[in-house]
Amino acid sequence: MQDLNAFFNPTSVAIIGVTPKEGKVGKVLLENFIKRFKGKIFPVNPKYSEIMGLKCYSTVKEIPEDIDLAVIAVPAPIVPKVLEECGEKKIKAAIIISGGFRETGTKEGALLEEKIVEIAKKYGIRILGPNCLGIYDNWSGVDTFFLPDEKMRRPPKGGISFISQSGAFASALLDWMAYNNIGISRAISYGNKVDVDDVDLIEYLGSDDKTKLIVIYIEGLKPGRGREFIKKVREVSRKKPVIVYKAGKTSRGGIAAASHTAALAGNYEIYSAAFKQAGIVEALSFDEIYDFAKILLTQPLMKGNRVFVITDAGGVGVMLTDALTKEGFELPLTPSDLKEELRKILPPHCIVENPIDLTGDADDERYRVVLEKVLPKPYVDAVIVVALPQIPGMTEKIIDYIADAKRYGKPIIVINIGSETAVKFKVELEARGIPVYESPERAARALKALYIYSQSRLRCIK
Amino acid sequence: MSPHDIIKKALEEGRYKLLEHEAIEMIKYYGASVAEAKLAKTPEEAGKIADELGYPVVLKIVSPDISHKSDVGGVIIGVNSREDAIEKAKKILENVSKHAPKARVSGILVQKQAKPGLEVIVGGLRDNVFGPVVMFGLGGIFVEVLRDVSFRIAPLSEEDALEMMKEIKAAKILEGFRNMPPVDKKALAKIIVATAKLLEDNPEVDSLDLNPVIAYPDGALVVDARIILRRPK
Repeated sequence: MQDLNAFFNPTSVAIIGVTPKEGKVGKVLLENFIKRFKGKIFPVNPKYSEIMGLKCYSTVKEIPEDIDLAVIAVPAPIVPKVLEECGEKKIKAAIIISGGFRETGTKEGALLEEKIVEIAKKYGIRILGPNCLGIYDNWSGVDTFFLPDEKMRRPPKGGISFISQSGAFASALLDWMAYNNIGISRAISYGNKVDVDDVDLIEYLGSDDKTKLIVIYIEGLKPGRGREFIKKVREVSRKKPVIVYKAGKTSRGGIAAASHTAALAGNYEIYSAAFKQAGIVEALSFDEIYDFAKILLTQPLMKGNRVFVITDAGGVGVMLTDALTKEGFELPLTPSDLKEELRKILPPHCIVENPIDLTGDADDERYRVVLEKVLPKPYVDAVIVVALPQIPGMTEKIIDYIADAKRYGKPIIVINIGSETAVKFKVELEARGIPVYESPERAARALKALYIYSQSRLRCIK
Repeated sequence: MSPHDIIKKALEEGRYKLLEHEAIEMIKYYGASVAEAKLAKTPEEAGKIADELGYPVVLKIVSPDISHKSDVGGVIIGVNSREDAIEKAKKILENVSKHAPKARVSGILVQKQAKPGLEVIVGGLRDNVFGPVVMFGLGGIFVEVLRDVSFRIAPLSEEDALEMMKEIKAAKILEGFRNMPPVDKKALAKIIVATAKLLEDNPEVDSLDLNPVIAYPDGALVVDARIILRRPK
């Protein structure tokens, strides 16, 4: 997979189809590269001799240096000619941004696509696209997402890499991540995937040190690629979590089938089975994508399914009990040894049964001492802290206390509901690697994702 | 006959659905336990086979043109002696010539009658993205109304097959229900694994249903099998 490296870490890039015209893809592309890319940039367009202070070449063949990556943004009918020139120039990687191929549903589009596949084969060029946004790489500065910063903000550097079958969803998610200050490593929109596909990209990101977690938005794999997908993802998910959101869940039912099995096997049911076999964590909604990502990125593996809840709000404790039980977690009754220890340190009106209720007169100190008693116990696999900030005794010290409790090496997540103070606590806790959720149900689902991922990892270790 | 020969013969005869005894032979070849069945060409042969298999037996018409056998009087259960087998086989042939006079008749299937147990379905199909896929579910309303089934992509291990059984919503029924003892899940797993192997080994097979498979506290039997071959494009 080293050959994909040219897409992400090129030292020189030719951008074919640049233009100084306002609002055009070719202008935004060049602007973004100038702003972010750390290597050499060679604009190509026969109509100009200079653009934005850079010498403009009429073809790639004129460029006096070797080129690692070509970014192609010319009208579809010209793409074959341009690609041919890239081949002659011995360029081994090309991102074809241009649309107008198979996705149009026309015969001409399909023929053009076949043509570029043929040329790519002839010269041994790897192709990303066509009809895609291409790559946003937060390390090398490769940025073919042809949207200006004011339309799509760029997220800070981080551990999440994102593969998307939808370009529009990719750009929306990046913009959202930037707004929420969530870091990204590399993002890829592969469009029609005539060559480089999900499987290749997962393999590449799997061995990429900068990527700590992979998120995939997928509609469908290429025919015949399913088993390779399972095999590769299984290898990768032993090293890092892979979250998939599958779009197109509705069944292809209605087609007359010759057997029961064929009638029952919707497209989605088969994908969902494949995800399980590959060790993928499946997100069922948009919310779950990031709910899962933040727990999987920050928390250690969860060894069993026993959860203890420490709360200052009895009601939220009950809500959590319901949500956790529904997800199949166990909330063990507090064993007598722990009960005794807790009774010694807590006022008599506190409830030492699980959920452990520190009540509305709790202060952050009470959380600290209880966390220290609960977390080391062998029968505790994870702790959920409900720390509603409305109670009088709660101060910012709670953030330190919870973050310090990470040293016990067990998953800890926090539920926090409220206004500015709650948001402030959330931002600071998350900055220190403690995921915070507003809703008990979403917290329970996220913990379940961590549990499922942990079990599949632990099974592999065995 | 080997699976390869069975498929070859069917294709040569222009059949894209295997006859029942062929389908049962195929799945047996891959290690599934089946309710033993043989094809009789004549009522007398049916009697002879019935004697070999032991009683009671079931008789079923075998015809490439009849898919709903009961509707044409093509199934008789609870046959208890050689004489009875010969007589009931004749009766089936009569029924069929009356209700489906144009149907080609390949013979009469004589099958050992399986004891009642928990009915489940094991299925398989070939997906254009993932290749061979297997399915598991409980029989009757569980599959038909509730669509309570689970899937796995082949190849799969016995452990995967056991996981599939845990995944259906009605999984508790397999653990024993009211007066029913728990069923032999390992025996079912063997049938699921056999289904995956059959699909992997025979690219001509498009889909199959083993319906029902009857599960017992010890063992499980494939009672009815339907195998569909791919039609050339």
